[in-house]
Amino acid sequence: MLTLVVITVLLYGSVMLTPAETRATLYMPKNTSPRMTEEKWQELLEKMIERYELNAPFHVQYLHWLGRLVQGNWGYSPTLQEDVFSVIIRRTPATAELTLLAFLIFIPLGLLSGVVAASKKNRAPDHAFRLAAFVATSLPPMIFAILLMVIFYIDLYWFAPGRLGTALQSLVSSAEFKQYTGFLTIDGLLNHVPQVSVDALRHLAMPALTLAIAQWSILGRLTRALVIEESQQEYVAAARARGLPERKVMWNHALRNALPPLITNSMLSAATMLTGIFVVEILFNIPGVSSIAVKSMAYVPDAPAALGFAIYSVVVVLLLMSVLDLIQVWADPRLRWSS
Amino acid sequence: MRARSRFFKRGQNYLGIFLVASFILVALAAPLLSPNDPENPGPVKIVGNTRKLVPQPPSDLAPLGTLPNQASVFHALVWGTRSALGFGILVTLCAALIGTLIGAVGAYFGGWLDHFLMWLSDTFLTFPVIAAIVVIQQLVTIFLHNLGIYFDYWGVPMVWQNGSISAVTPPIAAMIDRLQSIDPVLIAFILFSWMYYARVMNASMRRVKQMDYVLAARASGVPARRIIFRYMLPNAITPVIVLASRDIGAIVVLQTTFSFIGIGKTSPWSMVLTLGKDWMFAPKGLTTYWWVFFPVTLALVLFGIAWNLVGDSLNEALNPRSPAG
Repeated sequence: MLTLVVITVLLYGSVMLTPAETRATLYMPKNTSPRMTEEKWQELLEKMIERYELNAPFHVQYLHWLGRLVQGNWGYSPTLQEDVFSVIIRRTPATAELTLLAFLIFIPLGLLSGVVAASKKNRAPDHAFRLAAFVATSLPPMIFAILLMVIFYIDLYWFAPGRLGTALQSLVSSAEFKQYTGFLTIDGLLNHVPQVSVDALRHLAMPALTLAIAQWSILGRLTRALVIEESQQEYVAAARARGLPERKVMWNHALRNALPPLITNSMLSAATMLTGIFVVEILFNIPGVSSIAVKSMAYVPDAPAALGFAIYSVVVVLLLMSVLDLIQVWADPRLRWSS
Repeated sequence: MRARSRFFKRGQNYLGIFLVASFILVALAAPLLSPNDPENPGPVKIVGNTRKLVPQPPSDLAPLGTLPNQASVFHALVWGTRSALGFGILVTLCAALIGTLIGAVGAYFGGWLDHFLMWLSDTFLTFPVIAAIVVIQQLVTIFLHNLGIYFDYWGVPMVWQNGSISAVTPPIAAMIDRLQSIDPVLIAFILFSWMYYARVMNASMRRVKQMDYVLAARASGVPARRIIFRYMLPNAITPVIVLASRDIGAIVVLQTTFSFIGIGKTSPWSMVLTLGKDWMFAPKGLTTYWWVFFPVTLALVLFGIAWNLVGDSLNEALNPRSPAG
C-alpha cells in the first residue's frame, strides 16, 4: 500500500514539473466555438486553473488527484479520445483472458517438465528439457510470433491474430450479446453462440502460446533447480527408504517443499511478466490495455493516459503479488502461525 | 585457480566463450567487415536501385541480400551487433553498479538504512518496465510541449509562438534532436534492473559480513569505505558477475522486441525484421525471402544463448554448490 502511495507521488510529481497552464488545457472544452477569442480562452484557462487548483501546493493537488483517482476519474486522454479509466476497464477482459489462458498452459507444463527433468537429472529427458528451455529463454517473442503467424495463420489458417473475426464482431458488439464476464470464450457459451467461443479461442491460441513458451522456460528451469536442491535433503532419502514410489517422492515431497521459494520467485518477476503480456498483446494486435502504451509513444502530450497506464500496471502487479501471497500461505503452513 | 580449471572442463563453456568472443570481434571489426557509406553513415546502407521495391537476393554488394528499401541486410547485421553489444553492456554495467552499491551499503550498515534500501528495491520491483518507458517518453513529450513545440502530421517539429505557427529555428531543432535521441528504453532498463543486483549483493554481503577477517578489520579500525570496497566486495561479487553476464543477452533480446513493436529507438536488428515483415508473411515468404528473416533471427538467438551459456558456466565455476538452473 505504501508502495502504491510512493509510486503515485513520484509519478504525479514528475507530471507536476509542467506549468499549470499546460495541465489546464486538459480540462478545457474539446470543441471550441469559432467565436472564442484569444482573451476569452485565456480567461477560461485561468478559471480552470482556479477550479482544479492547479496552482495549489503539491500535497493539496496530489490529494485531490488521488481522490479523483479513487473515484475512477482518471482524466481525459486526447490520444485515446476517451476517459482513461473507462478505456482501461473496457480493455481489461481481453488482457485477462489471454493471461489466464497462458497460465493454464504454462503452469502445469512448467511444473511437470521441471519435476521430470529434476528426477531424471543428467539423463536424456533432462538434457532435452534444458536445451529446449535454453532456446526458449533466448528466443525473442517476436521471432516466435512471426514463425507462428507464418505457419498457423498464413499457411494453414488455423489461427488468426486479433481478438475476433470480422464476421462475428458485429454480433458481439450488438445488444443481444450480453457481456457477462467480458471473456469472449465464456460469454459465447453463456449466450448460446458457441461459434464465438471457438473463434475467440482460435484467435487466442497464438498469443497464449507465445506468452506461455517464454514463461514456461522460466518456470521450468526454476522448478528443476529447486526440486534438485530439495531432493538432496535427507527427508527425501528417508521417503525413498520407506519405499515410497519415486513419483510420490518427487511430487508430494520434493516439489511440495520447493513450492514456497518458487512462489517467492514468481512474485519477484510479476512485473516482468506483465511487461511480457503487454508485448505479446501488441505483437498480435489484441485490443487490450497495452494499446494505451503504444499510442502514448507518439510525441503527443497525454499525461492522463501515461499516468493511468502506469498506475494500472502497478495495481495489477500488486494484485498478482497478493494472490501469490495467499497461495504462499497455503503452500507454507508455517506462515499461518507466525505473527 | 580451482574456479578456472572448473571453467575449462566443460565443452559448453567453450561454446559460450567462442560465441561471445565472435560477437565482440564482429562488433569491433564492423568498419572492416562492412564499410560505411561515406555519404550516409549508419546501419542503413542503401545498395543498388532503390526503385526496386522487392528484397533482392544476396549479391556481391550485399552478401546477405537487401531489404525492400534496398538496405543491405549484412550491413545492418554487422553494425547491429555493435549497437546491441554496446546497449547490453552499458545497461548491465550501470544497473550492476547501482545495484551493487545499494546492496553493499545496505548490508554493511544494516539497521534502518538496510530496511529502507531493500524496501526501495522491492518497490521498484513492482513497476513494470513498459510503464516506465511510457512515463519517460511522456515526460520528454510534455517538456517539448511546454516549449510550444508540437509535431505536425508529417512529424515535422513546429513551434507555437504568440498565436502563430512557425518552423523551428536551428538551435531549437538541435535541442529537439537531442531530446528525441534520449532512449526511454535505455533509461527505463537501467532504472528497473538494478534491484536484482541489489538483492543478490545484499544477501552475498551479509554472508561475507560474518567472516572473521571482516570482524578483524572492523576491530582494528579500518574505515567503513575501505572495508566495503577492499575486504568485502571482492569476496561477494561473484553472484553479481553471473547475473550480469546472463542479463546482457536478455536485455538485448528485450530491447529488440520493444523496438520491433515500435517502443523506443530503432535498433538495426529489429529494423531488418520490421522492414522485412511483410515479405515474411507473403506466401512461401520465409523460404523465398529467407535473408530478411533468418540471419537476424540467428544472430539474436545466438546472442541470447551465448550470454546465457557464459552466465551458466561462470555460475558453475564460481559457485559450484548451487544447482545449475
